[in-house]
Amino acid sequence: MPALEMAQETGKIVSWLKKEGDAISKGEPLLEVETDKAVVEIEATADGVLAGVKSHEGDVVPVGVTIAWILAPGEQPPAESATAAPSARKITEQPRPAAPRPTPASATVAPADGGARISPKARRLAKERGVDIDRIRGTGPDGTITSEDVLAAAEALALAAAPAQAPVALSAIARLMAERTTQSWTQVPHFFLVREVDAGALLQAREQLGPAIERDRGVRLTHTDLLVALAARVLKKHPKLNASWAGDAIQLNPQVNMSVAMAVTDGVVGAVIPNADLAALADIALQRRDLTERARSGRLRPTDVAAGTFTLTNLGMYSVDAFSAIIAPPQAASLAVGRIADRVVAVNGQAGVRPMMTLTLSGDHRVVDGAQAAVFLNDLAEAIRVPGEWLGQN
Amino acid sequence: MPETRELTLGEAVREALAEEMRRDSRVFICGEDIAEAGTVYKVLAGLVEEFGTERVLDTPISEAGFTGMAVGAAMTGMRPVVDIMFGDFSTLVMDQMVNQAAKIHYMSGGKWKVPMVMRATLGATRRSAAQHSQSLHAWFCHIPGLKVVLPSTPYDAKGLMKTAIRDDNPVVFFEDKMMYRMKGPVPADDYTIPFGVADIKRAGTDITIVATSSMVQVVLGAAKLLEQAGISAEVIDPRTVWPLDEKTLVESVKKTSHAIVVDEGYGRYGVTGEIASVIAEGAFFNLEAPVRRMGAMHVPIPFSPPLEDATVPTEQTVFEAAKALCG
Repeated sequence: MPALEMAQETGKIVSWLKKEGDAISKGEPLLEVETDKAVVEIEATADGVLAGVKSHEGDVVPVGVTIAWILAPGEQPPAESATAAPSARKITEQPRPAAPRPTPASATVAPADGGARISPKARRLAKERGVDIDRIRGTGPDGTITSEDVLAAAEALALAAAPAQAPVALSAIARLMAERTTQSWTQVPHFFLVREVDAGALLQAREQLGPAIERDRGVRLTHTDLLVALAARVLKKHPKLNASWAGDAIQLNPQVNMSVAMAVTDGVVGAVIPNADLAALADIALQRRDLTERARSGRLRPTDVAAGTFTLTNLGMYSVDAFSAIIAPPQAASLAVGRIADRVVAVNGQAGVRPMMTLTLSGDHRVVDGAQAAVFLNDLAEAIRVPGEWLGQN
Repeated sequence: MPETRELTLGEAVREALAEEMRRDSRVFICGEDIAEAGTVYKVLAGLVEEFGTERVLDTPISEAGFTGMAVGAAMTGMRPVVDIMFGDFSTLVMDQMVNQAAKIHYMSGGKWKVPMVMRATLGATRRSAAQHSQSLHAWFCHIPGLKVVLPSTPYDAKGLMKTAIRDDNPVVFFEDKMMYRMKGPVPADDYTIPFGVADIKRAGTDITIVATSSMVQVVLGAAKLLEQAGISAEVIDPRTVWPLDEKTLVESVKKTSHAIVVDEGYGRYGVTGEIASVIAEGAFFNLEAPVRRMGAMHVPIPFSPPLEDATVPTEQTVFEAAKALCG
């Protein structure tokens, strides 16, 4: 199982693109692996024949563990001893489903090779009660699994089995979302600024610029594209809003990499349009569409979701008027965009109907304060009022 | 109700011998410094006055000789009790005990019997140095045809000694010299304790500690410390290491799931190893942890008091081992 990211601990095998016995050549796609962030195609590292496939679709395998062999013709896969070549990195101790271990072939008591230590009594009880000892964390001396641990696990199992609805196991993305949002919400001191803006000019800009882009580049321009372009250009003037919290310092980011929140099957990911302040509107639209399509099909690459410096999230298409976003650390801020809806507002001292939109800025108070954020929000509102001045010849 | 007195272990042994000598005129004692001297620990003091020098027989320093004499006397109808001053001198009687006493009943097709008792001492921490401090009882346990008795209280000492004298087979009876002055209740009447029946000296639920001879007292002390630590120790004394009451040991460990075996002999190839194996075989699927053995350190017993004390299990070391095992 290759490591595709620095912090990756396991990979889930989505599908094998080659079968046992297939001839393969170096560079050919071999299998698809889902990491915490994306589904990645793994290429063959050598010419040969695929053999000894140990891990199958759906298996979650620790990084560094052998999942299959590429053999020269006539070569045999090594004996079982070579199953696990654990990586030098520490494997997580959390009670996650570990790599499938070979189960004892007979009813005899097998030692827990390399696995957790378990007492003979606990092993017998686990067998009798149908408890998977790989899922138990031992509380005995040196982490030995004791009979008490097994009985507790059996009880938990019975309790879990009692309700008709089994809990839904988390996918990698769902788990990551849960971890990251919890971390952000509990550790980042959020504050929120709300600003109503007149989106009339934004609608006009879309009408004016959209047809040409669609004709020339084959992509429909969206409000999100316009907001990405505008926000990125305004951010360039407000480095604090485009900064990162570095634990005990503020890291100003030289690039404006706009992370756009996108729904995927089990959650949300922030797909990144790099250097969005410099990118032409049409290029932003094209990148946004490409990312959206790959997010929907679960084909985002790790690089697609890395290095964002600011997040824009738009729920306007779901008719949400306004909402507050959870910041994606280490980013300093996030902009939540509501729908554009006709409202009765004061226009030149008279009641008038205008297309209005509510922007909610979330800020990390360790990096940026309310006044700085307000100035940014004000500049953004101004840019939305006169988008043409900011988008230039785009 | 017969009277029960507080006797020392030494007095209990003497009472058993005296009662058996009164009961059966074939019983006699032989050994070094046993008559007027009453042995170096005065265990037999007074017996020569009652039974005379023919039945309380001082011998030259010749263990192999008088033990061989006792084997012959036993074969020809007497019931001798041989006194080996220190168990360390077992080295000198091995041929008589192992090749003669243990074999004759079998090799004669049951025509001859060897109803003799060999008494000896064991135990360190008496500052007696390397040649007078060993606990060599395991040697005899290894031999088919010999029974090995290790009393831990005055009560057990009297009852087991009477059973030993009445047994038609050679019995080796080890007394810990450190326990001779230990007092305990002993009935004045005639009672025997059967061989092969362990005694639960203290009931408990969390760990079984099997102990022999004076280690029973050490372990009972450790059990008190363990109780304060919230661990309930069951202390079992097999009383005879052969025959061994395997059932009581295994049943206890099935209940507690943890076991330590404590014996003052050397740990290596010793009594602790045998009993630990019996437990592992009988209660393996009930064990939460490996069976722990605690015996004498594998060194000649030092004369230096601090060093000598460090070679044997103590209340504290047993307490710590039990705590670690129970987690």
